[in-house]
Amino acid sequence: MNREIITSSRTGDSCIHVKHKSGLDIYIREMSGFSSVYALFGTKYGSVNTTFKVAADKEYTEVPNGIAHFLEHKLFENEDCGVFELFAATGAQCNAYTSFDKTCYLFSCTNNYTENLRILLDFVQKPYFTKENVDKEQGIIGQEICMTNDNPEWRVFFNMLRGMYHNHPVQIDIAGTQESIAQIDADLLYKCYDTFYNLNNMTLSIAGNINADEVLAICDEMLRSCEDKGLETIFPDEPETVVQAEITEKNAVGASIFHLGFKCRPDKRNFLKKEMTASLATSYLTDASSEMYSRLLSEEIINATFGGEVFAGDGFFSVILSGESEYPHKVREAVLAEIRRISAEGIDEKVFSRIKKATYGDLVRQLCNVTAMASAMLNTHMAGFRPFDVVDIVSELTAEDILGFIRNELLPDKTVLSVIEKI
Amino acid sequence: MNYNRTELGGNIGFTSVVDEKFNSCSLRLMMIVPMGDSASDNSIAVNMITDVNSKLNSIAAMNERLSELYGASFASSVAVRGDMQVLSVTAGWLCNRFAIDGEDITGDMLELVTDCLFSPFADENGFDESIFRLSKKEILDIIDSRFNNKREYALVKAREIAFEGEAVQYGGSGTREQVEAVTPKSAYEAYWKLIETAQIEICFVSPENDDRVQEVFREKFAAVGRNSASHTFYAPSPIKSTPVLVEEEFDVRQAKMVMTFKFDTDDIDAVHLMCVIFGGSPVSKLFVNVREKLSLCYYCSCSMSEFKKSAVVDCGVEKGNIEKATAEILNQLDEIRKGNISDEELQSAFLALENSYTSFGDTHSSYISWYSDCFFRNEYISPKEYLERLFEVTKERIAAAAANVRLDSTYHMLNKEAE
Repeated sequence: MNREIITSSRTGDSCIHVKHKSGLDIYIREMSGFSSVYALFGTKYGSVNTTFKVAADKEYTEVPNGIAHFLEHKLFENEDCGVFELFAATGAQCNAYTSFDKTCYLFSCTNNYTENLRILLDFVQKPYFTKENVDKEQGIIGQEICMTNDNPEWRVFFNMLRGMYHNHPVQIDIAGTQESIAQIDADLLYKCYDTFYNLNNMTLSIAGNINADEVLAICDEMLRSCEDKGLETIFPDEPETVVQAEITEKNAVGASIFHLGFKCRPDKRNFLKKEMTASLATSYLTDASSEMYSRLLSEEIINATFGGEVFAGDGFFSVILSGESEYPHKVREAVLAEIRRISAEGIDEKVFSRIKKATYGDLVRQLCNVTAMASAMLNTHMAGFRPFDVVDIVSELTAEDILGFIRNELLPDKTVLSVIEKI
Repeated sequence: MNYNRTELGGNIGFTSVVDEKFNSCSLRLMMIVPMGDSASDNSIAVNMITDVNSKLNSIAAMNERLSELYGASFASSVAVRGDMQVLSVTAGWLCNRFAIDGEDITGDMLELVTDCLFSPFADENGFDESIFRLSKKEILDIIDSRFNNKREYALVKAREIAFEGEAVQYGGSGTREQVEAVTPKSAYEAYWKLIETAQIEICFVSPENDDRVQEVFREKFAAVGRNSASHTFYAPSPIKSTPVLVEEEFDVRQAKMVMTFKFDTDDIDAVHLMCVIFGGSPVSKLFVNVREKLSLCYYCSCSMSEFKKSAVVDCGVEKGNIEKATAEILNQLDEIRKGNISDEELQSAFLALENSYTSFGDTHSSYISWYSDCFFRNEYISPKEYLERLFEVTKERIAAAAANVRLDSTYHMLNKEAE
């Protein structure tokens, strides 16, 4: 078992990577002077992974929407007692989340981290699904679906995704629907578990007040070796076009909100570079010092909530500008005009350099945050990169990279405007 | 870690925390006044001074400068503690040793922050009209957008009902109508009154000692000529003679319920423990019974407002289950009153609190939050000392505290369609 020390050439910060004999990738960052520990045990299995097979299967299996999230809920119950009770006995806080392309189980604590790590590694490797406990969970998840449907931020986002993607399952709510979760049973959960919770498809990331030797000894003790079964997930073909350029919904809100999305082409091989290029291009476009921002703000078309983000994963990539506005069409008009202007006039090097500096500042600050470091190590690994690569990539980006992205990816016929209007 | 608190004169406290493990600095300055007629003026004024100053006199110029300083931040917030309005400005920046071009980021940020505080963008008519208009709109937008988050809105409505007629009924910024009435002149006058009379508490967290921070505030405030009174933050809210129920109907899918309780005991530590056991963790009575066993709510938790001597239970629930959920919540409170608290429940609460308080110091915000609470309580102890005191709380004390917890009011946000 080789320990690889990964060091940032820019900041001198480092972490340890181990490819464990069980198949698991482990990232460890010892952080001197910190009291807390944050650990994530995650699988590359999210709501979009609805069609899959392993090498031994002839056919692909298709499962109901929302099953990855359902499975996450159910793993919190083992045969003897609930997982919350086990962590409560040590004082740790535990939780889990399912996103579009991953499911993670986590704890944070200040004491007994070795015991907590044992609990985490144990319960995630020990599924216990029965008809009774699956039926009971449908009520709780049904409540969660109701709650998220009352969240206008969630609705405006998913309406935008439905306007953007014809076939890719990213358009489907992570928790599924009342109808789809009604199709889930214990056998299906075991099928998904056996496929995706193979340690070759998983990552452990732990940071804070820890000792790497202790962590690895516990991994040796707790991890059960897994044969790599050759997991394959597929997605339906996705055209480059959008489904619908505009979706408006009236809802019980106090302030109207919008998402203006640009459908971009995913690039699995250069994912991190493309993501950071898109991120800087988005910062450039929404820069609060720009003429466009100042004008829209003074005309009260946008307010301080206006901003942008990159939303990308397996088979999907988009740039989303969002905020509160009573005039979302004027926002779209102004943004498209600004893209035309930048494409014609080029990038202002001074502004670009300032935005790079601000991004560098944000990344360096993260290095002193236990939670952010553990999350960053897991996320970069699952995206196919190494921790600290992001700092190097940002340093090497040029104004030409940003201009290329804006010209080639932020195209007017690839936009979707989703609006939630006050009733 | 090196902690030091000193008085700068003029009723200004300065807390310095030096912790070498960090690579950035944070500064928070709190201005504290009783909630009153100027609350909305104060709120807009403090929001405005973080947007511009007399040198950086546009929002664009301010953002450009912060971005040049490696993405530094400077923002305002308004909160209430007891019946006090707490107006804060908070700045954060990367420490000098990470500056690629050798800039003195700390020096530049101190200049920016003090320019904002002591040289706001204004003329003889008060704050600059155009920036003021945007700042006022921002506060109004924040009030309007509360309804976007239904859980937050339910808590806001519950507070209005529970604290009806009290200074903090409408929160830190006041009502929409009060905000509408603010003018550039009234906000500007209110701002200078704050600078001259508010009780001020500053907290600076950094990886290395820098005396410039303390000195610059001592010097700047000395030039103002301060006349400030000290405040106390405990302001228990009187309990209603009969519990009040208010219901509203909206086009929502899930109903919300917020129950506000008030307590008449000085044993705050016991109430703290009670709230954790009642609904403060995933092994609490509410989580285990209301959510897990009876599947009545997706969330159901309890939190305490120490200075108002109140506690709220809030939950997301189906309309048809409200009655059952209410009965079970009150039943679980009764269990605590009867002393039906298992050793495991008490131990879990102790461990959860220990976990929470011993992670103090891992972030700037945890230091600022702890030392601010010490200031509000007027009790300067370490988290370890506080924990030792909590560990002395017994089941008997918790049951006795729970006996003094009574339901004051309930708010239901109901969905129109459901039966």
